[in-house]
Amino acid sequence: MLDEPIRILIAALICWLNFMTVDLIFKLPHSGGVSGATAIAREVEKGGGNLNGGYMMGNIVSSPDASAGTLLASCGVYCAGLPGGLFAALLVYIGNRICYDPGYAGTTGCITATFIVYGAVQSGWFAASDFIAGMVIAILTIQGLSSVHASRLIARLWKVRCRFIPEDKP
Amino acid sequence: MIAIYVCAGIAVYAAIRVILERNTMRKLPFLNVVSFAVTGIIALLLPHPITIAAAAAYFVGSTLESNAIASAWSGGIKK
Repeated sequence: MLDEPIRILIAALICWLNFMTVDLIFKLPHSGGVSGATAIAREVEKGGGNLNGGYMMGNIVSSPDASAGTLLASCGVYCAGLPGGLFAALLVYIGNRICYDPGYAGTTGCITATFIVYGAVQSGWFAASDFIAGMVIAILTIQGLSSVHASRLIARLWKVRCRFIPEDKP
Repeated sequence: MIAIYVCAGIAVYAAIRVILERNTMRKLPFLNVVSFAVTGIIALLLPHPITIAAAAAYFVGSTLESNAIASAWSGGIKK
């Protein structure tokens, strides 16, 4: 096993890639899911950020998406192994329904994260606690440092995603 | 056990950002980071199967609150 700080940083990168991929596939930067998400996106744009990036930030705030799924999957695997992660996916789905969201992104992100975290723990290279701290660092980079730069980064990734699946214009 | 200190440090940092940010709507992403960090701390402090339900309940509840604040601030339900 590597040292804990290095493991946490690698876990943060894995979590970041997992939730960003799932969120982009499920079109979170396309539009605001609820009126609150749209309002947050407008404020981010007013502050100099990008509207599409703001939509995704608003959607993450307003409903448990793949980032929440990744965090709760890590918590589930940490507390109860593979069944814990899958139980967390069920709870994320219920949480999505409470927050008036279809629940595809959160549940999919939680299930993929469960298998990634469980596989990493089984390989002996990581502990599940690394992924909990890693996911908190990953969400810090998107929501907690600079809304302007984070929204522009998301918008750039959203354009790349739209190039591969061209029917959804950014 | 560095993981729990990382979560706690990030929670305190995000809480300070919430206080310093003047715009209410732009406070909410920082508040979301606090929710993530506290959910992580709950799971790391209490490694027990029921903790998953507690952590999920806390997280979904705080998300719903942010959702309600943002929707109410933006004018509520449009008729």
